[in-house]
Amino acid sequence: MLRASAAATDQPIDLRAVTDRSIDPGISGGSELLRLVDVALVASHELEAARQAVVATLGPEALVDAAGVIGTFEMMNRIADGTGMPVGRGALARTEDLRQELDLDRFRHDR
Amino acid sequence: MTVFDFGGAPVVVRPDLPAALGRVWDVLAGPGATWTGAERVAIAAAARRAYDGNPPEEAGLPPAAADAAARLHSRPASIRRSTVDGYRETGLDDAHYVELVGVVSRLAAADAVMRVFGLPLVPLPNPVDGTPTGEVDAAARRGPAHVPMVGGASIPQALSLVPAEAAAQEQLHGPLYLTYEEMADLAYVRGLDRTRMELVAARTSAINECFY
Repeated sequence: MLRASAAATDQPIDLRAVTDRSIDPGISGGSELLRLVDVALVASHELEAARQAVVATLGPEALVDAAGVIGTFEMMNRIADGTGMPVGRGALARTEDLRQELDLDRFRHDR
Repeated sequence: MTVFDFGGAPVVVRPDLPAALGRVWDVLAGPGATWTGAERVAIAAAARRAYDGNPPEEAGLPPAAADAAARLHSRPASIRRSTVDGYRETGLDDAHYVELVGVVSRLAAADAVMRVFGLPLVPLPNPVDGTPTGEVDAAARRGPAHVPMVGGASIPQALSLVPAEAAAQEQLHGPLYLTYEEMADLAYVRGLDRTRMELVAARTSAINECFY
């Protein structure tokens, strides 16, 4: 969905930033959002600074949306892993290049 | 009135978000399809203890349910087909397990939102008395996923064995992120545009080591 939405809105983005945090995603506020996710889920002691950075670059409503998206995917990741959601053949075919580049197949637990 | 109070948040929070999370708490407290309200709250408590790194404690749950709640919240990527098969062999049937997945996954959503805003987690609700409804969808069939689903394996159908859990998931999905219909709009903009929403989603999934 990230690649598709970036293409649909003509926003070139470096997808490697999703799994390699040394890479800048290349869109405004992108690094700040990635940092927010990291500290919210892994290192909460830096949350205040991460929140302020998102608000400063993208605005207060962006922080609200980011919180909602993090919450949603905390939920959906558990549903997918808990129920063993298989990855369809179509999705596998569409994402072959991306899965290889980002080494995403290490996250496949539907087996 | 919702128990989710964002008055202490660093920014103004749109009202549909606390309202949606309040409904999660209301649904959590009452009887589900297979678990009583007290058991559902105990499942949530076991999940929270594990997420915080605390050892399990006697919670009045079958051992498989206590383990599933803890594992799903703290180490979801460790769940394999053999894990769920093992739960089933010890008496945690598919409907009980699917309901547990629904309870824990929505707890994870609510707690994550509070953490992002730096707010204390909302205490778990007091259980509401009542008898489980027993409502499961007889059309669900076993397929390639770990649990039976209605109409083939897909994310919207993941909890379809227990319709109340599937409905609760969908009711939260829209206010926090996008409705299933809105997801088709790749140029959708709210506080974030769609690309930035998906960047946050992708990073969350990467940290959770989840393919989705």
